[in-house]
Amino acid sequence: MNYFLSNRFTENIEVLSIILVILGILIFATILFFVLGKIVPGDKVRELQQRTKSWWVMASVFILATVLHPSISFVAFGLLSFAALRELASISKNIRPEDRRVIIWCYLAIPVQYFLAYMGYFNLFIIFIPVFMFIWIPFVLVIRGFTVEIGRSMSVLPVQLMFTVFSISHLAYLLSLPELTGFNAGGRGLLLFVVFLTEMNDVFQFTWGKILGRHKIIEKISPNKTWEGFIGGFITTIVVAYFIRFLTPFTAMEALFAGAIIAGGGFIGDIIVSAIKRDIGLKDTGNLIPGHGGILDRIDSLAIAAPSFFYFVYNLYYA
Amino acid sequence: MIVYYKVIMRPFLSIFVGVKWINASRLSHPMPFLLVSNHNSHLDTMSLMAALPIKQLIRTHPVAAADYFGSSPFKRFLSRWVINALLIKRNRAAGDPSPTDLMISLLDKGHSLILFPEGSRGEPEKLQAFQKGIGAILKRRPTIPYIPVFMSGMGRVLPKGEKLLVPFDSYVAIGEVSFAKSEEVEQLVAEVEASVLQQREILLNMIKQ
Repeated sequence: MNYFLSNRFTENIEVLSIILVILGILIFATILFFVLGKIVPGDKVRELQQRTKSWWVMASVFILATVLHPSISFVAFGLLSFAALRELASISKNIRPEDRRVIIWCYLAIPVQYFLAYMGYFNLFIIFIPVFMFIWIPFVLVIRGFTVEIGRSMSVLPVQLMFTVFSISHLAYLLSLPELTGFNAGGRGLLLFVVFLTEMNDVFQFTWGKILGRHKIIEKISPNKTWEGFIGGFITTIVVAYFIRFLTPFTAMEALFAGAIIAGGGFIGDIIVSAIKRDIGLKDTGNLIPGHGGILDRIDSLAIAAPSFFYFVYNLYYA
Repeated sequence: MIVYYKVIMRPFLSIFVGVKWINASRLSHPMPFLLVSNHNSHLDTMSLMAALPIKQLIRTHPVAAADYFGSSPFKRFLSRWVINALLIKRNRAAGDPSPTDLMISLLDKGHSLILFPEGSRGEPEKLQAFQKGIGAILKRRPTIPYIPVFMSGMGRVLPKGEKLLVPFDSYVAIGEVSFAKSEEVEQLVAEVEASVLQQREILLNMIKQ
């Protein structure tokens, strides 16, 4: 068992405390919605209860994947990328039936990308998908020889890879960052910081939008997004970032800035996936997670927030 | 067989291929019953069998064409002991028992059957007209219920004539256990076909909502 539990975890008070915070929030939400369900029963409360239940599952899986041995974390993130790419490729109407075999190349890029992250080959890690796969996919498409609407496939497949594999693999790469002197929480701390804040930002935006929401930001794409929700979520996320900066090597000012990057990036990722869904006529990208839609609906914010945050911290402390 | 479907196929289908079962609990109905589904891929049978509870699984037989699945001793062995299939001959010689009789004798023993009334897998993701066999069975055994199933996506994962499996999200929508209401073979076929199509509507609404 000791082999699987990273030794740093048990002596790592920062990581332990944020995990307790996450569990605390979940217990609080469960009790709150349980009581609320007794006082004002209805579909809305039931949906919130359903969502909380799904959060329990997602948080448990995420925490386990984070505290166990790093190699398990890499496999877990790889599977997440795989499921997300599969979902995106399945709902996309821009992929032709002839592209079946080319999609295999996209799937094969996942183990390679996560291997590069695991080994910490930073230079290869950042160019493998945006440069190598960006050339390889159009090349394989051309070799296959179906030219009708080939341009669409050439553009869509690399973008799908970027969105589901390249971006999410940055979460895994956080675990490969070298140790800094005087900074205890390490890559795990950074990983918990960005994922916790991104997900909380979603929840904050949702909650502020429900309480105060009046003015729509971008009605045609996401009718539930309001300025009040966005700004409320933005400010709350920055405040939370300030208080949990013990997970990072950041100064107070840098932590506020990181919170802003995560809140902004999360919002952008969210509306990009909303737009993709709107194009296809779906409300959710799948129905795997009750109350939350599919995997893409859950990682849409992370897809932008994770790499943005990664390069912020990388250039400040690891470059 | 149980190992094949439950230990190998089930995780392979759900984690790797991305198969999602909807209302799978309806399959724990007491035997015998007929599972009637559209057919696009070899994965169809795997997905249905893997979703059955073990008690049902060991006494459920996918009905398959003998000229395809029984063409070599190895294939016959696999069909019998791994797939649990009932092989029927599409072109039978004089003296062979009729496929309907074979199926009915299994049903009378309390076994269930998986039927693909489209006959062959056909073009990916397209529904073909149902054949008469299902009507003939339901006419002779009107007390045996059928479960309509619609599957979507398998035709992209592993279409007819392709050897390379490409994972895509696929769905298996399992309908309610129903008893045939019509009397005549043609009407029975139409009734079953309509209930499978109804599952398609339900599935599409569920994905789109």
